[in-house]
Amino acid sequence: MSAYAPGTRAAQLGLKIRQKKTTRSSTLIGIGAWIVGLVFVFPVLWMVLTSFHREADAATNPPSFAAPLVLDGYRAFFDSNPWPSLLNSLTASVVSTILVILLAFPAAYALSIRPVKKWSDVLFFFLSTKFMPIVAGLLPLYLFAQKVQLLDNIWMLIAFYTTMNLPIAVWMLRSFLAEVPVEMLEAAEVDGAGLIRSLREVIAPVVMPGLAAAALICFIFSWNELLFARVLTGTVAQTAPVFLTGFVTSQGLFLAKVCAASLVVSLPVLLAGFAAQDKLVQGLSMGAVR
Amino acid sequence: MSTQADLSRPAGGGHDADEEAVAIARKRASEGKKAEAKLGMMLCAPAALVMVAVMAYPIAYAFWLSLFRADLRTPDQNEFVGLSNYVTVLSSPIWWTAFGVTAFITVVSVILELVLGMLLAIVMHRTIIGRGLVRTSALVPYAIVTVVAAFSWRFAWSQDLGWLAGSSAPLTDRWSSIAIIILAEVWKTVPFMALLLMAGLALVPEDLHKAAAMDGGSAWQRFWMITVPLVMPSILVAVLFRTLDAFRVFDNIFVLTSGANETSSVSMVAYNNLIRGLNLGIGSTMSVLIFITIAIIAVVFTKLFGAAAPGSDEGGRR
Repeated sequence: MSAYAPGTRAAQLGLKIRQKKTTRSSTLIGIGAWIVGLVFVFPVLWMVLTSFHREADAATNPPSFAAPLVLDGYRAFFDSNPWPSLLNSLTASVVSTILVILLAFPAAYALSIRPVKKWSDVLFFFLSTKFMPIVAGLLPLYLFAQKVQLLDNIWMLIAFYTTMNLPIAVWMLRSFLAEVPVEMLEAAEVDGAGLIRSLREVIAPVVMPGLAAAALICFIFSWNELLFARVLTGTVAQTAPVFLTGFVTSQGLFLAKVCAASLVVSLPVLLAGFAAQDKLVQGLSMGAVR
Repeated sequence: MSTQADLSRPAGGGHDADEEAVAIARKRASEGKKAEAKLGMMLCAPAALVMVAVMAYPIAYAFWLSLFRADLRTPDQNEFVGLSNYVTVLSSPIWWTAFGVTAFITVVSVILELVLGMLLAIVMHRTIIGRGLVRTSALVPYAIVTVVAAFSWRFAWSQDLGWLAGSSAPLTDRWSSIAIIILAEVWKTVPFMALLLMAGLALVPEDLHKAAAMDGGSAWQRFWMITVPLVMPSILVAVLFRTLDAFRVFDNIFVLTSGANETSSVSMVAYNNLIRGLNLGIGSTMSVLIFITIAIIAVVFTKLFGAAAPGSDEGGRR
């Protein structure tokens, strides 16, 4: 700034005013953010409150804020032994998410940076599992699982979730990789970095927001998927949503228990979201390139 | 699409003496190109193989069954009927009503989700006070298991019991039911939209905004001239995937109305035929028609907007 002597004062003044304006608008945005957040989570807050009530208090409408808070709902849920199903869900979600990223990242890299013949056709092919209505896959996949004796086996679910998540992971990562400056890759190549090293050490950090978002979306999909888990699993490989719907059906009228159970099952996703949210925003803006 | 030769052509050229050197370089470059292309295919292959291994069978199975009269209630009358299942479905008012409902839900919810998702993404991106908490709580609707969310919406809107319904019974009327289905869909998936867009916003360099602000660009101008073009690839992916998912809407309708009062989506009627009615022929025909419809949406979408994504020049970027 100081290099342009004549206009300096005016320019600095303008900058100051603008900065003031920016702080005010960012406060407004901050308040707005909180209001939006509250509206968004209101139904869930209602669930949280209800989950800590006794059944008699939970049944009142509107919910009373004065009612005593108890842990009965949570106790009832954990007494029904949800651990195996939670563990199954965790295995299915984590393993399939890792597989998806390992498979999708190289493919997306090839589709955005390395020349693949007819790349747009390949990219389109990667959409194709999204065309089928999920219900249509139920019967054939059930019959298939029965034939290869993978019914009630967590690996069948892992294979299915991986397949269902590959399209969005490939497309998302590709859109992020397309932003990586070619010069950066060339520099890595000149420095003698191999393919795997440049993928891991040069490209991955730059597209971190994309990677984090893709992984989170895959994790959430696998964690929440119900229809297939219900058909393909039985007692051994049962996942948390299947357990939860069973619990809800048997405790349908007991709101506090149902709310407590729903919240417990949703908690791991929130933890994953909290863990991922920092990664979501650090990317090029962190100064990797500029 | 194949542009290998012209990509490897050296840009400058001109000197006659260098012709031989250029020829050698060109040959080497084209060999390099081939190796590159091979590497590219090898990088794509594992993902593609997994997809084929798991999904080829169900898709082929549905296509095959759609050509048969295959009703599990009358198994001895199964026979090859050619395309007559398609005639049956395409001349059925139930199918077209469901098709209309599905299209309506898809268009309205995707538009709402894009607008609200963009707002939420910007808010999540820009907010400073309690950032982690805001970002995580914005994810809450997406984190809640879909069926639970659908049940709690149904409860909230049920007469006399629910905290939103009061004495009305909105889930017994067609259009208010559809509105509630859209509300449930939007509430659930705005965070998904925001998540994708927020990751895209992270790619917008701060300096660019600062520079534009110095030049006197208003916030609105900066949004349209800087943010939107740079986030465009993320917007396209988000809208495409949401459209494909929205057209297959099932869970929310299943829980909220079970398709009562003509609120069935195409996935619902396919489910009713396949699983409830055990009419595999008709159900599979509907599945195939949904498959084709969504494929058409995807083709139109990628053809219309494909060119807008950076790096979409032919043959990749090298």
